[in-house]
Amino acid sequence: MSVQMKQRGSGGGASKSRDLLQVTAQRSRQDSPPPPAGQPLPPLSVRAGEDNLRGGGGGRMGSGSSSLKHIPDGQQLMEETGFSAAHLLRLHERFDFLDKDGRGHLRPEDFEEIRELTENPIGGRIIAAFFPPEKERLDFPSFVRILAHFRPIGKNRSRDRAQPEQANSRTGKLKFAFELYDQDRDGKISREELLQVLRAMLGLQVTEEQLRSIAERAVQEADIDGDGAISFDEFKKSLEKVDMEHKMNIRFLK
Amino acid sequence: MAGLGSVCSRRLAGFVSLLLLVFVAVISASPDAATGANETLRRPSGHSLDDSHHPRNSSEHRKAFPVLAFNYEHVSKPFVISLWILLALLMKLGFHIIPRVSHIVPESCLLIFVGLLVGGVIKAMDQTPPVLDTKLFFLYLLPPIILDAGYFLPIRPFTENMGTILVFAVVGTLWNAFFIGGMMFAVCQIEAAQVGHVDLLSCLLFGSIISAVDPVAVLAVFEEIHINELLHILVFGESLLNDAVTVVLYHLFEEFAHEGTVTVGDALLGVVSFFVVSVGGVMVGVIYGVLGAFTSRFTSHSRVIEPLFVFLYSYMAYLSAEVFHLSGIMSLIACGVIMRPYVEANISHKSYTTIKYFLKMWSSVSETLIFIFLGVSTVEGPHNWNWIFVIFTLILCLLSRVLGVVGLTFIINKFRIIKLTKKDQFIVAYGGLRGAIAFSLGFLLTDTEKKDMFLTAIITVIFFTVFVQGMTIRPLVELLAVKKKKESKASINEEIHTQFLDHLLTGIEDICGHYGHHHWKDKLNRFNRTYVKKWLIAGDRSSEPQLISFYNKMEMKEAMMLVESGSAAKLPSLASAASLQNAQQRAPPKQRAIPSISKTREQEIRKILRANLQKTRQRLRSYSRHDLFSDPFEDSMSEIRFRKQRVQMERRMSHYLTVPANRQETPSARKVWFEPEHKVYTYDESESPRDGAALETLPDTVSLLSESPQRPDQSSRLRKRGDAEQSANAPDSQEEPQKLSRCFSDPGPKEEEEEEGEG
Repeated sequence: MSVQMKQRGSGGGASKSRDLLQVTAQRSRQDSPPPPAGQPLPPLSVRAGEDNLRGGGGGRMGSGSSSLKHIPDGQQLMEETGFSAAHLLRLHERFDFLDKDGRGHLRPEDFEEIRELTENPIGGRIIAAFFPPEKERLDFPSFVRILAHFRPIGKNRSRDRAQPEQANSRTGKLKFAFELYDQDRDGKISREELLQVLRAMLGLQVTEEQLRSIAERAVQEADIDGDGAISFDEFKKSLEKVDMEHKMNIRFLK
Repeated sequence: MAGLGSVCSRRLAGFVSLLLLVFVAVISASPDAATGANETLRRPSGHSLDDSHHPRNSSEHRKAFPVLAFNYEHVSKPFVISLWILLALLMKLGFHIIPRVSHIVPESCLLIFVGLLVGGVIKAMDQTPPVLDTKLFFLYLLPPIILDAGYFLPIRPFTENMGTILVFAVVGTLWNAFFIGGMMFAVCQIEAAQVGHVDLLSCLLFGSIISAVDPVAVLAVFEEIHINELLHILVFGESLLNDAVTVVLYHLFEEFAHEGTVTVGDALLGVVSFFVVSVGGVMVGVIYGVLGAFTSRFTSHSRVIEPLFVFLYSYMAYLSAEVFHLSGIMSLIACGVIMRPYVEANISHKSYTTIKYFLKMWSSVSETLIFIFLGVSTVEGPHNWNWIFVIFTLILCLLSRVLGVVGLTFIINKFRIIKLTKKDQFIVAYGGLRGAIAFSLGFLLTDTEKKDMFLTAIITVIFFTVFVQGMTIRPLVELLAVKKKKESKASINEEIHTQFLDHLLTGIEDICGHYGHHHWKDKLNRFNRTYVKKWLIAGDRSSEPQLISFYNKMEMKEAMMLVESGSAAKLPSLASAASLQNAQQRAPPKQRAIPSISKTREQEIRKILRANLQKTRQRLRSYSRHDLFSDPFEDSMSEIRFRKQRVQMERRMSHYLTVPANRQETPSARKVWFEPEHKVYTYDESESPRDGAALETLPDTVSLLSESPQRPDQSSRLRKRGDAEQSANAPDSQEEPQKLSRCFSDPGPKEEEEEEGEG
């Protein structure tokens, strides 16, 4: 356990065994957790002070300026994902906020501290989706790349128009959702996997029978080639009437 | 030849009935004629009474007992009303006898036309036709239509497009009202028009009356053209929500048309009044909705009156809002929307069907009556035709609508994810129909001189929009290749994935720290689940997740479909009857039920069966009603025989099922499916086992009857045997034939052991 960890304490509560500046910095950050866009960045500057105090992390501690200089590969990220500079900055702030130790990368525990996420039935899966298998670190570019899936499909800022391979195209979104179902990454959603999802979503209110019958029914409905599992194409087909553009969009990421 | 003859005879029948009805309407509409009929009818019977009169002269108290009397006045009012409604409905029927016309011309136009005819005939006989009385319209004719619309409002598209709808409804209507009012005032200044006496406030009043898009007309026309959901909800939602604006503007200008001037203070009060009217209306609706939902929680013992609660609470919501001059339409919509999910969880299936059909029925009647009366009133009403006024009104209406829609869409598109294309905008603009609400509001005006002129103009605009726009919108939709409504089957996949995505989006929003759309929706759902549902839904349904209720509904729907289509499902029972004989004690009665078929015939049947079951497999995959219906086996000669068996089996089944089973323990759905060679299982609704009504519906929903079980334990014994047989074969090889017979999802052979362990 490093000194930093001790000083960090838990994200939610106030901790007394801390440097005063750190305490105030933490508190002010907690007071305004979601840094809305366009606001001047007081938390950031305070955090800057705190970061200096901690002295850890890399050289990309955010400063009060709104330039991309502090985000490594910022320009490249912008082009790749289609986010604007303002968005990237916001995401960066958020990344920093989640990254309480200032390590420069996120770990699953950081995500688990978001309270609402723990209440979310598929919270665990979402967290797992951010981390590639076997890796426990999430750096900023990967963070942004995953969130790019949820960017609304609109006029692209990048040079190339929305190609099917692009993250926020309809296929990209569907692929992301598919991978959330398909935990073992074999390219198919088996009955078992669907059953797990249903169990997570419906919880204890439903008997196993009902879950099974629903899972069975769902697989049966979607399964065209009769292999007993839902492949990506079948998944796409079963959702063709669902308005993906509307459903998988976070507006503020536009 | 026969076809031609039948077509001709149908047309003839149509015309004859038309004439007959006009005649009937004329008779009923004229009270004098009725009393005249009285007299003429009385005369023959008068003879028999004559004798009675004579004795009266002689002795005061001696009067012969009147064998046959005629007393029309006693029943005249309900008689006339019923006759009119009958006329309207017969008209509606009549249109479909002449299919070609009804395809080109929307029903609303035809009805207005009939109204014109009837009105003309009545007028020709110098009688006064009944006019579309405002009170009649607003209190009796309009609520059913609005309730029907509100109760079945598709919530998801409505809330997704709420912003757009509100902008169109509020800002669009305001724009329309002021533009038309202002420009008409300018027009009135033209000397040639001789309408200089119309002042600005009256013009604004006129503008506010004519600017509102009418839900009745929109419904009537858009129902028939089946455009895609987005456009439908946009135009329709707008027509519903602009009621608040209309109410406020109308009252505002009406008040001040007398005063003559409007101060800034009044204008501000008007704005405040708008909020009060709309929010107040919604709140009244919500209160009644919650009351209705709460009441439905306790109706498990008197199922028959459940639909009445829904209707009465909604109607009370409407009336209560009208008492305070709040927006009755918004109140009604809010009541229906709030009440629906909870009421549907509480009431029996039959009540649900009743509600649905009664609402459709009433709204249909209302709509028909409204259009007919509109036609009749047109003929009757005092008219003051002023060319310039009317023409300019028409032009300005169209112009303001187009400008309004285009302008607003330009602004709205900046905030929408799915933009509205030019085609969409055109349809939205073109779909701005005016209707009976405008007419009724105009009728309410008190100033007679301008009233006639206004009414004439209003009627002209209504006629134009309903006839011209109504008739041409269908070919335009085809021409512009506007996306039509996709007939989609309720899919469990979509439901699962939609919920999954909702959770996913909420999670991502939390990660981003953004309290957006999904976050609040999730909070609302949580609140709903933990508090509201516990209060408003009876029994253990209160904790049933939405997915489960959706799934149950789907299963039930399919069960009924299968039962209605009737055939293929029944046959294996026949085949399995023989194999089950040994296993069952109750086999003997079954044998009696099965008529003796020759061996060759039986072979034939089995062959056809197997062939059809293969086809049924694909059909079942698509879960479509039509596929199941077009089962070729139905054509076979044994159909009648099997139907007879079905009836007998159902009778037996209802006997078995009224024995209360120990089903409280397993809320799971026991599956029904059929095996060509093996057995048949009973189906239980997984829905509330507590109400007796559910039991009654079971014979209908059971498509197959298990060959016998007197009690469900026997059925489980049956299953045990089935299991034994099945486990003997490789379970995997069973998967295929089982899949084919899957009417409902079933978990597979393994489940059987578990299930029967519980059962």
